[in-house]
Amino acid sequence: MISFEPSEDQQLILGTVADFAKSALLPRARKFEAAREVSAEVRGAIQEMALGAAGVPESLGGQGLGLLTAVLINEELAYGDAAAPFGLPSFGPFTLAALELGDDAQQRALLEPLLGAAAFGAVAWSEAQPNRDQPGFVTVAKPAGDGFELSGEKSFVSNAAVAAQFVVFAQVDAAQGWNGIGAFIVKQGAKGLEVTGRHETLGLACANFGQVKLDRVAVGKADRLLGGGDFAAATIRFFAKYSLTIAARQVGLARSAFDLTREYCDMRKAFGKPIGHFQAVAFNLADRHMDIESARELVRRAAWSFDAKKDEKACLLATAQAVAHAHEVAMRTTDDAVQLHGGAGFMRDVIVEKMMRDARQMALSGMTTAQMDQLAVLLLTDQALDPAVVLPTPETQSVFT
Amino acid sequence: MYELELNGQQRMLKDALSDMGKNVIRPQSLKWDREKNIDTEFLRTFYAMSQAMKGDANPMEDFQEGPKQRDPKKPSQANRTAAIGAEELAWADASIMLCLPGAGLGGPPLRATGTPEQKERFFGIFRDMSKELRWGAYGLTEPGAGSDVAAIRTSCRKDGDAYVLNGRKCYITNGGRASWVVIFATVDPTQGRAGHRAFVVEQGTPGFFVGKIEEKMGLRANETAELVLEDCRVPIDNLLGGEEKYQTKEGFMTAMKTFDNTRPLVAAMAIGIGRAAYEYACDFVRDNYVLSRPIPRYAAIAERLARAGRQLEAARILTWKAVWMADHSIPNAKEASMSKALAGQAAIRACYDAIEICGAHGTLSEDHALLEKWFRDIKVYDIFEGTGQIQRIVISKRLMTGLKAF
Repeated sequence: MISFEPSEDQQLILGTVADFAKSALLPRARKFEAAREVSAEVRGAIQEMALGAAGVPESLGGQGLGLLTAVLINEELAYGDAAAPFGLPSFGPFTLAALELGDDAQQRALLEPLLGAAAFGAVAWSEAQPNRDQPGFVTVAKPAGDGFELSGEKSFVSNAAVAAQFVVFAQVDAAQGWNGIGAFIVKQGAKGLEVTGRHETLGLACANFGQVKLDRVAVGKADRLLGGGDFAAATIRFFAKYSLTIAARQVGLARSAFDLTREYCDMRKAFGKPIGHFQAVAFNLADRHMDIESARELVRRAAWSFDAKKDEKACLLATAQAVAHAHEVAMRTTDDAVQLHGGAGFMRDVIVEKMMRDARQMALSGMTTAQMDQLAVLLLTDQALDPAVVLPTPETQSVFT
Repeated sequence: MYELELNGQQRMLKDALSDMGKNVIRPQSLKWDREKNIDTEFLRTFYAMSQAMKGDANPMEDFQEGPKQRDPKKPSQANRTAAIGAEELAWADASIMLCLPGAGLGGPPLRATGTPEQKERFFGIFRDMSKELRWGAYGLTEPGAGSDVAAIRTSCRKDGDAYVLNGRKCYITNGGRASWVVIFATVDPTQGRAGHRAFVVEQGTPGFFVGKIEEKMGLRANETAELVLEDCRVPIDNLLGGEEKYQTKEGFMTAMKTFDNTRPLVAAMAIGIGRAAYEYACDFVRDNYVLSRPIPRYAAIAERLARAGRQLEAARILTWKAVWMADHSIPNAKEASMSKALAGQAAIRACYDAIEICGAHGTLSEDHALLEKWFRDIKVYDIFEGTGQIQRIVISKRLMTGLKAF
């Protein structure tokens, strides 16, 4: 059946999260931005609600509510402050990396500290420069003893400084190019691991984006994440699901910017009437409303496809379409929000300028619109999903994880 | 529960129409376009088939007669099913849905405002069309009044047991072949919509003529006619809803509002045509371009294709939401307009880009004739049933506080 109504449980959770986002996040968004982190108090409150664990299977200590519920929660939190989820433990890519790439024992080991003690995890994927000698990462995993030694430098890693554990991607087999990469569990404080500097970014100030330097960091054989056999497919799935979470935040952010702007256009008068009563302004709002409503439903549809265990290609295509659309919509909406506020929109007194910066930055987290379009076309034309072409490698736009 | 699965009936309808679309309708689509007609034999067969698909899932009936009043506690699937059918049928041929025998766009106002006797009389003629196919039509637009409906000038003056109508109607779908047309006229142009009266004017009524049959850019297989009324006496029994319906200002117009639900169906048709072009372009890219080669220009083609695809999906999801709301009797004027506005745009873009993607091939009316046909067909989907601009007015009024008119 075609039905757009979330389940009663989902509606209940949504109501609670929406209230929380409006009362606890929205008024503090500027404070978090200035402090460059989400306050411990708010982190604690969200931990108590166990929101980060919603999508994690029950067998691993989560709530097993599925990707759709997780996506709905992300959308509502982002309505309050889209940057905030980036500064919360268990909302980051680490959880999804553990679920998609790890085996049972690894999943348990990786997720327990996250869900129990509210520790951060991080995924070290990107590198500042592409490898100019051959396809693949510059960071290498060299066989050493029973395990590997990791050496190199990873960039654009969210929560690098505060993470207790990392999933680090590195080149295992240089000759295999992008088919020769691997992922490894590394603990903070491991010998040879150094978190260097925090990136100053346009938006998402609470995300704590940093760099990770690895100098012959020793990891065991059991620390390699194999993605259940098909590592490339698992990595694509990880990026798809993580990007979908980001897309949900884009939708929440866009809704929030839109609501503020609509209210402003109702109230602000020019030439003797509310500016929203001029067609140029009203049509602009109508277009953005269509954008947001469609992006919202496409994101839900993609999440539902995964939950309903649709064919993997269908899930990926739905995700690619939803993410690409949501990124564009959020950027258009927040840009128009600033524009329709006029000069006031440019001032830090009004929050829409922050929203515009956050949307821009989010569109580079997970996979970008261009990367998702590329994925969609390969799926549409029945081509193999070559990781070199599909993954957001340093050979294309660099992305934040 | 959130779910986007077709039910068994919808799946069956979609598959049946898709099959027939591919094997029977598509192969004749170009011929119909050139001959500016869909041959009667085909329409007869198709009509008989659609009659066989009885019950809740008859998209033809819902499209032609408008949504039925239903019990809000027992949501139907009819609007959802109709949208799925409409998309599939338009995918096969853009004109066919508009050419189908039956009440056509005259159906919704008759269903919404007609007296029981009128419904019996005018819907009755479509009950048995085994010998002769019949059509109804809807006459609102005039040379001087399109989107601004209140500006119609066709006049009606009561004279004894009849009204005398004078004026011109244009762009009337199936206007020439219709057994009857719902004609809008005004008792007094200064009263705006409050002065409007709607009549069921029957073919052959003295003073009622078919004028020019239009030559169009697209939807050429479908008849678009001009209608002329010269001192045309229409019996008072043909005043839609009866005289009392017009005693209060609200009576008639309120009833008219109940057929917002045709907008998502038009959106679904637009998506069907856009999807046809988009799928054609996907096939063309798969067969003709070597995407595995890292040629930079392929990236631009890929981006266009992907964009067309996701815009169509965005339009479809809004359309499905609008019909889902209709099935649950949730007011959906805004959502209906959003689906129509987005679908019109997305489908035009898809048809436009499909030609671009296929390159020179795309414009040849021999090898890839369907592409150039869809390009011609689709434009009107952002114009009829409320232009994109009118849809944005509908949406704006529901977004802004206290906005009655611009």
